[in-house]
Amino acid sequence: MSSSSIPIRLENVTQRFRVIQERPDTLRELFSKFFRHESSYHDFDAVKNVSFDVPKGQMLGLIGRNGSGKSTLLKIVAGVYRPTAGNVQVKGSLAPLIELGAGFHHELTGRENILLNGLLMGYSRREMQEREQPIIDFAEIGDFIDSPVKQYSSGMYMRLAFSVATEIDPDILLIDEILAVGDAPFQQKCFERLQNFRKGGKTILFVTHSMAQVSEQCDRAILIDKGSIMADGRPDEVIEVYRSSMVPEAVGAH
Amino acid sequence: MWLKLLLMIELVRETYRYRELIWALALKELKIRYKRSILGFLWALLNPALLMLVLTLVFSTLMRFPIPHYAIFLLSVLLPWTFFSQSLSYAVESVVGNGDLIKKVRVAKLVFPMAAVVSNLINLGLSLIPLALLVLAMRHPFYWTWLFLPVPLLALTLFTLGMTFFFAAANVYYRDVAHILQVVLSAWFYVTPIIYPLNFIPEQYRWIFKLNPLIYVINGFRLSVYYGMLPKAPSIAASFVCGFISLFIGFAIFRKYQDDFVFYV
Repeated sequence: MSSSSIPIRLENVTQRFRVIQERPDTLRELFSKFFRHESSYHDFDAVKNVSFDVPKGQMLGLIGRNGSGKSTLLKIVAGVYRPTAGNVQVKGSLAPLIELGAGFHHELTGRENILLNGLLMGYSRREMQEREQPIIDFAEIGDFIDSPVKQYSSGMYMRLAFSVATEIDPDILLIDEILAVGDAPFQQKCFERLQNFRKGGKTILFVTHSMAQVSEQCDRAILIDKGSIMADGRPDEVIEVYRSSMVPEAVGAH
Repeated sequence: MWLKLLLMIELVRETYRYRELIWALALKELKIRYKRSILGFLWALLNPALLMLVLTLVFSTLMRFPIPHYAIFLLSVLLPWTFFSQSLSYAVESVVGNGDLIKKVRVAKLVFPMAAVVSNLINLGLSLIPLALLVLAMRHPFYWTWLFLPVPLLALTLFTLGMTFFFAAANVYYRDVAHILQVVLSAWFYVTPIIYPLNFIPEQYRWIFKLNPLIYVINGFRLSVYYGMLPKAPSIAASFVCGFISLFIGFAIFRKYQDDFVFYV
């Protein structure tokens, strides 16, 4: 496959965060810090020198412990962060499903949020109006579609968010753990849709802590630890590396 | 000069590109402002109408200024001022307030201050209806110069946008800015000839008041609605120069820092 048709390419990407212990949130703190020449932060690389490509039609699972940098990586691909160093190429339309209800406004109804969410992702009003009914049909939340989303359960939130993100038919879909809150039948329905996506040549980046989902659904997995790639390959192999890496620390903790 | 032009072209292009989103966010803001009130959107009309009623009663009975139809004199610039100060008050929190969103979705940050300005522009437009009714009720002449209002309105919108860009960006880094802004706005209100005419100020101090960039645009509103006159060309030019300088500086600063907002919201 030629490099121009690779939808996601990361080259030596580093994301540095300034971790501020006592953030000068006010001018007073700033001045007092300034005059005492204190620095109250340290730099922390959430993602360190990471490179990988994701070809079309691949569903890639990102696994790793809490705080390993998976979500940061997802947000770099989503364009939320501009990385400190390295190159990120993302080709095609992209829908992020990062955390529940990002882009939903609590006071607006489900129907109003469909439009707002679509506009936020760069789709036009007309495109969203055409997709409104299919989105509502897939979400199966009944009359709640005309209630403010603050009255939704987390499952309903997720149903609507997933429906919007997939019904707009993006080239790249980013999913961060949110499938965990759906009930079993809906999860099943989501995975069926994801598999159809994959067959249609779409690219899916999938963060989860469910190893079963990775080995069943993904055709490749990457293990992230402390911001770096520890393993990259077939899901079962990568999961094995992950499991064995957990053992010493589990022993040490007890 | 070229840089300035390029920046303005970029701003226009981005605004056009995100017009539907800006509009949807502005409507959302209004919807939420009037949510759970029985009269809903009617408040956008009732608010200025009731304010006018109070002002008219106070100034026609209690405090008598030597200015005929003082309520109209006042409201002709109080309404645009309210647009200006409300836009700033909303916009200063607009980026920080949407922090959750900015941290999860890639979105053009400029839509947030813009939506704040647009929603207040809608409010200003609605408040002109009760003002027109008041003009009729008080038998103040309804001048053809009302048709000129879009001109000062455009200059004021440019000026307001620039200021909102600056304050919204600054507040991301230092949350004191929102508090400072309130003080600045209340001081600014009194040094601007809103409740008094400029000729109340002794001649030798008047030049200081003319340093206020809002004075030219305020003049345009008052002349058109209250006096039935058009502002002179230099005054119109000055209002647009102030508008563009504000917009240029505000947007340049906002644009410079917008990619880093996500780390501070």
